[in-house]
Amino acid sequence: MKGVFLISACVSVIAVVTICVFLFANGVPAIAKIGPSEFLLGKSWKPLENKFGIFPMIVGSIYVTAGAIIIGVPVGIFCAVFMAKFCPQGLYKILKPAIELLAGIPSIVYGFFGLMVIVPVMQDIFGGSGKSMLTASVLLGIMILPTIIGVAESAVRAVPESYYEGSLALGATSERSVFCAMLPAAKTGIMAGVILGIGRAIGETMAVVMICGNQSVLPNSITSGVRTLTANIVLEMGYAADLHRDALIATAVVLFVFILIINTLFSIIKNNKE
Amino acid sequence: MKKLISAGIAAVLSAALLTGCGGAGNAITVISREDGSGTRGAFTELMGILENEVDNTVATAEISNSTSVVIQSVAGNESAIGYISLGSLSSEVKAVKVDGVEATVDNINNGTYKVSRPFNIATRDDISPLAADFVSFIMSADGQAIIEEKGYIKASDNGAYAPSGLEGTIVVAGSTSVAPVMEKLADKYKEINPSVTIEIQQTGSSAGMTSTIEGACDIGMASRELKDSELSAGISPTVIAMDGIAVIVNNKNDVENLTSEQIKGIYTGTITNWSEVK
Repeated sequence: MKGVFLISACVSVIAVVTICVFLFANGVPAIAKIGPSEFLLGKSWKPLENKFGIFPMIVGSIYVTAGAIIIGVPVGIFCAVFMAKFCPQGLYKILKPAIELLAGIPSIVYGFFGLMVIVPVMQDIFGGSGKSMLTASVLLGIMILPTIIGVAESAVRAVPESYYEGSLALGATSERSVFCAMLPAAKTGIMAGVILGIGRAIGETMAVVMICGNQSVLPNSITSGVRTLTANIVLEMGYAADLHRDALIATAVVLFVFILIINTLFSIIKNNKE
Repeated sequence: MKKLISAGIAAVLSAALLTGCGGAGNAITVISREDGSGTRGAFTELMGILENEVDNTVATAEISNSTSVVIQSVAGNESAIGYISLGSLSSEVKAVKVDGVEATVDNINNGTYKVSRPFNIATRDDISPLAADFVSFIMSADGQAIIEEKGYIKASDNGAYAPSGLEGTIVVAGSTSVAPVMEKLADKYKEINPSVTIEIQQTGSSAGMTSTIEGACDIGMASRELKDSELSAGISPTVIAMDGIAVIVNNKNDVENLTSEQIKGIYTGTITNWSEVK
């Protein structure tokens, strides 16, 4: 019986190792062939002319993720504080499942929501096509909310009640006690939530590809379109052949390295906590 | 705390209002397909956007990787222009006339609407009798009826198909644009000849031609004309259908007609405002 458990445990490890081997075996030779600096820093992506520069996509991914964090993190943290500290029991019974449902909505549905609702609003406000870095950031900001709220809420709840009571006893208001005494104590837990949110945002594909415009040029304002690393892969995989296909796998390698960095950060923060 | 929040909200709202008043006028939002797409390949070639193997599509063009997203984007944006397969045209968007000619099946048949591309199949000279029979089915009245049903334009006026009673396996590979209609054709053929198996691989036009030349498949599919290098390698093309490409704008856009020069200008970035084409 132990064997079954062992095999089950091995499945995920084998999956990760296989994916790593596949990615690096196909991607690294392509990067070498294109030239690492030309691939990572090249500003021109024209596969038909053998120009494979993914710099605009790297920048695009970072900008969109940063935008999502700016929008999602404050809302997420305030929501977590509300849920943990100020929420009446009755409301909590509605809020909690609603947030869990938000996490379960498939990303393609988010994409359609973005295309039908957020894009027209952006058109009205800023003109242009409405498909932009800002649109993608807003949608991703919504998508990472459940991750941040979930982790931040348990972090706030884990802070001993005595912090709050001590602060009240010193004459601080209820809000001030929460924000100045409890939140700093829950800092590492909240950071962990934020980093998980970053991981979710940078890896998101189907929703983003529908609303970010997908232009492979460096964006010059928050209302110009961008193409993310994930969007680049999903857009062109269907028709790509030869070096073009390998260049897309190499894009995935870059994305994989990003995720590795994020996960390492996550473990470092988690270990610091303990 | 409350002051801070209300100040923040006020700042965001006033910023939104200020930029909102500016508006973007009548700037054209150019929507294109992704590199490597058969539709984009045919469109850029027909419109002269592709020159000396260089695709001059303006870098700020929005890229969508499916026909439905192109339609949705144009339907939701009054200043957008895009292009799709004529078979996918719906009332959500408006197809403009190109050089004064309306995008209809009739106009493609009589050659006046020039933005169309052939759906080709390619075969080697030593084609198996079974594959040859499948080709004759595609070109027969029965096969062409399926093509018209799917919204494409028929390419042959042959008579009805007579079942041959052959058996075996046919491998078809190539264009993902041709594959959906090929699957319908294969289903119908298998209905008539139950002991035949047809395997369809969606590998893209170029890969399909290579497989046909190498003998890895019986029939190759291409959503473009065959290249000279492919023809000289010993395969011959058969046009099984024509697919028009419709240039689409928003229903509220009052532009009815664009010349091919104007379309080229829009897609290469020399024309950026609708006022320049009215």
